[in-house]
Amino acid sequence: MLITQLKSKETIASLVEDKKVFIINCKGCMEVHFPEKEADEFQKELAAGGKVTGIIKTDYICNPDNMKLRLKKHAAEIEAADVILVYSCGVGVQTISEYFDGKPVYAACDTIPMPGFQGVTPLEVDCDQCGECYLNLTGGICPITACSKSLLNGQCGGTKNGKCEVNSSMECGWERIYRRLAMMGRLDVLKYPVKIRNYATYKDVKAE
Amino acid sequence: MEDYTKYRLKSNDELVELLSDKDKLFIVACNKCFKEFESVDEPDLDEFAALVTEQGKTITGTAKVDFLCNKIQTEKKLQGLIPEGTEYVAVVSCGLGIQTTANLVQMPIIAAANSLNYTGHHGMALTKKACDACGQCYLNMTGGICPIVDCSKSLLNGQCGGAKNGKCEVDPDKDCAWEKIYRRLEKQGRLEELAKQPVQLRDYSKVNFKVINDYVNEIREKRLDGYYGGVHPSERKELAEGIALKKFPEPAEVVIPMSMHAGAPAKPLVEVGDLVKVGQKIGEAGGFISANVHSSVSGKVVAVEPRLHPTKGGEVLSVVIASDGKDTVCETVKPAKALADLTGEEIVAIVQESGIVGMGGAGFPTSVKLKPAKPVDTILLNGCECEPLLTADHRVMLEQADDVIFGLQAVLKTVGAEKGIIVIEDNKPDAIELMQAKTADIDNVEVVVARTKYPQGAEKMLIKRVMNRQVPRGGLPADVGVVVCNISTVKAIADAIQTGMPLVERVVTVTGEKIKNPGNYIVKIGTSVKELVDYCGGFTDDDVKVQMGGPMMGFTLTDLNVPILKGSNGIIAIEPDETIEQPCIKCGRCVDVCPMELSPLYFSKYHDEQNWKGMLDINIRDCIECRSCEYICSSKIPLVTKIKAGKKAIMEMK
Repeated sequence: MLITQLKSKETIASLVEDKKVFIINCKGCMEVHFPEKEADEFQKELAAGGKVTGIIKTDYICNPDNMKLRLKKHAAEIEAADVILVYSCGVGVQTISEYFDGKPVYAACDTIPMPGFQGVTPLEVDCDQCGECYLNLTGGICPITACSKSLLNGQCGGTKNGKCEVNSSMECGWERIYRRLAMMGRLDVLKYPVKIRNYATYKDVKAE
Repeated sequence: MEDYTKYRLKSNDELVELLSDKDKLFIVACNKCFKEFESVDEPDLDEFAALVTEQGKTITGTAKVDFLCNKIQTEKKLQGLIPEGTEYVAVVSCGLGIQTTANLVQMPIIAAANSLNYTGHHGMALTKKACDACGQCYLNMTGGICPIVDCSKSLLNGQCGGAKNGKCEVDPDKDCAWEKIYRRLEKQGRLEELAKQPVQLRDYSKVNFKVINDYVNEIREKRLDGYYGGVHPSERKELAEGIALKKFPEPAEVVIPMSMHAGAPAKPLVEVGDLVKVGQKIGEAGGFISANVHSSVSGKVVAVEPRLHPTKGGEVLSVVIASDGKDTVCETVKPAKALADLTGEEIVAIVQESGIVGMGGAGFPTSVKLKPAKPVDTILLNGCECEPLLTADHRVMLEQADDVIFGLQAVLKTVGAEKGIIVIEDNKPDAIELMQAKTADIDNVEVVVARTKYPQGAEKMLIKRVMNRQVPRGGLPADVGVVVCNISTVKAIADAIQTGMPLVERVVTVTGEKIKNPGNYIVKIGTSVKELVDYCGGFTDDDVKVQMGGPMMGFTLTDLNVPILKGSNGIIAIEPDETIEQPCIKCGRCVDVCPMELSPLYFSKYHDEQNWKGMLDINIRDCIECRSCEYICSSKIPLVTKIKAGKKAIMEMK
């Protein structure tokens, strides 16, 4: 799951300078993540300059069949444009640039990941898909995502008042792990042998 | 279809070792997401359970849960499920589900599965395109081909030189991404641009946990504010919200259906050739749940026959009246006594006689609502108008505020409620300000501002949001001591008491990107939609979808020769969306947004299997048809159409 942040106004402006633009907005997979208002304002300014051939708002650009259907209606507007400006995550921009590989397709947004690579809800928990779940050893709190340093073998020692030294607004993951295990009377679990993370990807694992 | 499921059971050896010192397990398994929605049953739970039994361990129970990482729903599903004597909860899920369960059950957890890593993230539709969410999109300089995902080495400044015959040296099945980038830019004549590009350094610090966490929390807070789920479609109210009410010109002819309400149709009281006046009763309520119908013009009845109805999908007996243009008011239209002198029964009688029904769309007879079977302490006046585009209630609040407050007070008196609350969404600050000023001196009326979210105007959501009370399954607002009224409805009640005029006209918003001149009009019931559209300058082009009501719950009109009804709050002309239904990928969005906390994806699946019993078992009758699920669906499945078909089939089953 992804979230988009608008690139700076200057960056976007420099991409489309003196060019005729067709704009595609993706409201994203969870419509609220798209900075709609800011994008609208900028697009209105652009349109006022007379260089915009068309603007469409859609969702799920990454759903290729439906996107083709939706774009068909705007073929002439797209044809008339020098560049296509896409407000979406990286998946959307790549999808569009494949359709129109003869025309520059520009990204107006940067994409950042959101907790919960999939699943329904981005929650307070995150999973880094490490492929060798450590939760059995840590009372169900993930050392990879709950610890800034993804330490597998206990705290780094840099914690101050229970807060992480990397990010002071974050609780120390290892202190949380300790507390949870202490609560369950299972501190003995922590006496596991030293763990070394295996960075194999899904592909490596599948090939095994 | 690509299967993006991201967990698989840990190896047998690992699991055997893990289980060696443990017993009395409760097993929870996630039904997986992002995969073809073929079977409801996933094999992993049974596989694991067999292994546990093989090891001679006791299983105290098992549960298969959809979207285990949905904390709110999982908490409810697991409630009371884990029996006494359970020592461990084993979870077969990806890391998200395991952690969510661990946070919910105060018991040691066994993670029975590993999450699998896919390189790069993907969109919501199952596409092969990947994005690593690096936070500094490079696609602008690479012709839309991602150097981070598509190049094995994630090089930002050109090829490594190791490619052989266009194939990557790390993975010979993969095309060299930089060669692809070169080719594409060459095609676009942008090679010089590439050569001039300064050296790029990837900034790994940009993707900051806190930024993301704050962002996500804000979103979740908005999404879950007041009640579970809901969506926030583009409001587009600016098209009409600033346009003052205008009286629509007298129509030459009106078609007044005998059925503009929930319940039995009214029985016509007039015949062809009869002369009628404005406010004259022309249809008598046909039962307890029914409503009277009145003429909105003065003139001559020219037909009493079935005519096309905008929302009932067919013809409905209607009275057609040719207006004489004189607007002569019927003698029966007389003001009632002062509100202070009226009894509750008298007000109910006036409301009933005036044919007033819920004007938000459902058309439930208001007089019935005003005689609740249970004690009611609060009247909620619904000024949310949560449907995008519509501005009718907004304008009524702004321009007829005194009538609205009068109507609310009449309802308060009738029902004997202690308090009236006017609920307005925060996208209507002018209405909030005005209503607050007007009610400042009224002790038992207050204004509550609600964060804009759809479907806030739905009774059950509104009650949950404002009162934090849960209407029981299959129950009515009165079951929790509340009556909900629409803004235009109380305005109609005020008219009926103050002038004696029954419900013969209403405010209609005519709007949408495809309407030349949007506006808010006071329209006589029975006026043709076509006349209304023509008066507003018609459509900007032929590629248009016309709906009666809002874009979410409105009815699509294929023929504009249909009348405005008591519940018609808007006529919208919008751009049609062309999509085709695609297979469900279990993305879980519909479950995330359903305000009734249902699982719409199963409605679609069961509909296609004609499994009506299955639909009934998962509470299809609780569905309020708000269309949030269909709006958010990444496969564009017509969920509401399927749900309606399911409800119909269930009715016929009985």
